[in-house]
Amino acid sequence: MNEHEHHHEEPIEDDEIKSWKRKLFWSWVLTIPIAIIMLSERLFGFELIEMPYSIITILVLGFPVLFIFGFETMKSGMRGLFTFYFNMDSLIALGTLVAYLTGIFSFTEVVADYSGVAAMIMAFFTTGKYVEAKARGRASAEIRKLLELGAKNATVIRDGNEIEIPIEEVKLGDVMIVKPGEKIPTDGIVVKGESSVDESMVTGESLPVEKSKGKTVIGATINQDGILYVKTTKIGKDTFLSHIIELVEQTQSEKIPIQRLADKITSVFVPIILVLAVLTFLNWWFFSGDLSRSIGVGVAVLVIACPCALGLATPTALMVGSGMGAKKGILIRKGEAIQTMKEIKIVVFDKTGTITKGKPEVTDIYSKVKENYLLEISASLEKLSEHPIAHAIVTKAALKKYKKVTGFSIVRGKGVIGKISGKEILIGNRALMNDKKIKYSSFEDEISGFESSGKTVMIVAENKKVIGVIAVADAIKEDSIEAINKLNTQRYRTVMITGDNERTAMAIAKQVGISEVIAGVLPEDKAKKVLELQNQGMVAFIGDGINDAPALKQSNVGIAMGTGTDIAIEAGDIVLARGSLLGVVEAINLSKATFKKIKQNLFWAFAYNIIAIPLAVAGVLHPVIAEIAMALSSITVVTNANLLRRKKI
Amino acid sequence: MVGKMKKLKISIEGMHCSSCASNIERSLKKVSGIKEASVSLMMKKGTVEAEDNVNDDEIKKAVARAGYKVSKIE
Repeated sequence: MNEHEHHHEEPIEDDEIKSWKRKLFWSWVLTIPIAIIMLSERLFGFELIEMPYSIITILVLGFPVLFIFGFETMKSGMRGLFTFYFNMDSLIALGTLVAYLTGIFSFTEVVADYSGVAAMIMAFFTTGKYVEAKARGRASAEIRKLLELGAKNATVIRDGNEIEIPIEEVKLGDVMIVKPGEKIPTDGIVVKGESSVDESMVTGESLPVEKSKGKTVIGATINQDGILYVKTTKIGKDTFLSHIIELVEQTQSEKIPIQRLADKITSVFVPIILVLAVLTFLNWWFFSGDLSRSIGVGVAVLVIACPCALGLATPTALMVGSGMGAKKGILIRKGEAIQTMKEIKIVVFDKTGTITKGKPEVTDIYSKVKENYLLEISASLEKLSEHPIAHAIVTKAALKKYKKVTGFSIVRGKGVIGKISGKEILIGNRALMNDKKIKYSSFEDEISGFESSGKTVMIVAENKKVIGVIAVADAIKEDSIEAINKLNTQRYRTVMITGDNERTAMAIAKQVGISEVIAGVLPEDKAKKVLELQNQGMVAFIGDGINDAPALKQSNVGIAMGTGTDIAIEAGDIVLARGSLLGVVEAINLSKATFKKIKQNLFWAFAYNIIAIPLAVAGVLHPVIAEIAMALSSITVVTNANLLRRKKI
Repeated sequence: MVGKMKKLKISIEGMHCSSCASNIERSLKKVSGIKEASVSLMMKKGTVEAEDNVNDDEIKKAVARAGYKVSKIE
C-alpha cells in the first residue's frame, strides 16, 4: 500500500457512532446517581437525600440528560410532533418530557415523580442508538470498503516527466506508471510492461491475472510484480469501479416487495402509537383514578413501540447481503431479484460466452479446393463481420492482404454473403444454404461429424456450389461443468439455448451436464423461448448482457455475465463481474440466504411489537423496562442481519 | 403534460431511524413534479425522479420540511 493512501477522509458513519458514544457516556454519568437515589428510596425505603431535595437533585441531574445530550432527539421529536412528520424520536421525546414534568408537578399536585425515569429512558435510548449505529456500520462495512477502494493518486508521464497527481487530474490518454504493489489508478490498456494483477477486489476472481501489452486493466486492482505502463481509457464516473459502486448504492434504496407491508406500517406507526398512548392513559385514569399510575402506563406505551426494528429489518439484511456479494463480484442490481430467486425452477443458459468462453477457434477445415484459397476468400468476407465466428476465421487465415468484397450483407443468425472477383460467395450454416437452395449433401458426413463433437460448422459456397466447410469450436469455461453440476444437484431444471444447430448444441450440453437444449434459436427469438418456458415455472436467464438483453429482461431473474472490463449495468437484475458460472450458483445461494434473513428479521420485528405493545397497554411493564426492550429489539434485528455473514455461499 | 424526466441523487444528513426515511419520501413526493422518491437510511442517500423543471431548492425544502438536511444533490 502506498504512503499517500493513508490520509483518506474519515467515513461518515464513524462520526455518528462517535457522537452517540459521547452522549451515552455523559448521560450515564448523570443517570447513575439518579438511579442510586431512586433505587435506595424505592427498594430499601432509605432516603439518601431528604425530600423534596431528592426530587430537586434528580431534576437538576436529569435536565442535561434530556435537554443537552438528548437535544437532537428532543428537537427532532418535537419538530415531528408539530409538523406532523412523526418519527421515532417523537415517541421518546414525548415520553421523557411527560415523565420529567411529573417531577415538577409533584411539588404542587398529587402525582408521583417520574423524572428519574425520564433520564433513565433517555440514557437507555442513547445506549440503544449507539449499539445500533455500530451494528449498522458493521453491516455496511463491505460496501464502505468498496467506496474507499479507488486510488487517490496516480503517477503519469507529462512532457516526458514522471509526476504524481491526484486521481481527479488524470486525463484520458495519459500514460500512468504503476509500480509493483501499487494500485492501478484507473481503467486503461497496458502499453508497456508485464505483470500479474490481483483483481479480486472488484471481480471476486481469486487468481492473479497476467497482463501484458494490449491487455485491459481495471482501476483499483493491485499490480503485483512488474512495472506496468497503462494508457488511461476511462476516468471518473465511467470506470468499472464507479459502475459497481453506483450499482450497489442504487440497490440500497430499492424496495423489496416483502418490505412493503412493514413500510406501510412504519409510516402510520407513530401517530397510531401516540393515539394509543393517550387512550391508554385516559382509560387507566378513568377506571383506576390513579393519575400517577396512568401516566406511567402511558409513558411505557410511548417508549416501547418500535417502528425502527420494522424499518431496519430489510435494509440491513440487504446491505449485508449485497456487501457480501460485491466482495465476490456478484452485484445485485434489483433488490426484488432476491425475493424472486427462491421461486426459480428453471435456469436457462445462453451458450456462447456464458457456458463457453465466447472466443471460438477454427479447429478443422475440409475442402474440395485448395485450403489456402478457401481460407483466403472466407477471411476476406468475414473480415467485414463482427461475429465471433467470423473473427475466428480471420484469425486462422492471418492474411496480409484481403480480397476486395462487393455487395456484402449479413443474414442475422445465418451467415454472410458477398462478391469476390465476380463470384458470389456465401458462408453460413445449414439454414443459409437451405434458404438459398444450395445442396450440401456431399459434405453431410463431414458436417455432421464435426457437429457431433460440439463444433459449429460454416459452409462455404461459391456460385451456388459448396466448396468446403470450416469447423469452429468454442472451448467450455473451466468451471461451467462444476457450476451446472451444482445446480442439477439443487434440482434446478437446467436448459441451454443457442443459435447453433441441434447436434452441435447437444454435444456441448452433454459435456457440461445439461440435458435440455433449445437449438437453432435466432438471437431475437431468445426472449420468446424464455416466455414459453415461463409457462412451466419461474425462469432465471444467464447471458452475456449484450446480445441477450431482451431475454434477460423477459426472464424472472436475469443474470448478466461480465465480460472482461465491461459491465452491462442495464441488462441484468444481477450482474456478475467475473465470467465464471460458479458466480451464478453463488448468486442464487446468496439471494436465498439474504431473503431468508429478511423474513426472519421482519418476523422478529412484527412479533416484538405485537407482544410488547399489548403488555405495555395492560400496564405490566415499567417504563424503563419498556425502553430497554425497545432498544434491544432494534439491536436484535441489526445484529441478526450481520449474522448473515456466517452463511457459506 | 409530462415534461422531460430527470433522476437525482441526494445525500441526506441527520437520519437515524427508518421512520426518518419514510418521512423524507413522503415529503418529497408532495412536491409537484416529483414522481418517485426513495430514501435509504443505510446509505444516507436518496434518489428522486422528477420532471426537468423541479429545481434543487424545492428538493432541499422538502427534505428540510421533514426535518433533515441535504448535503449534496447530483
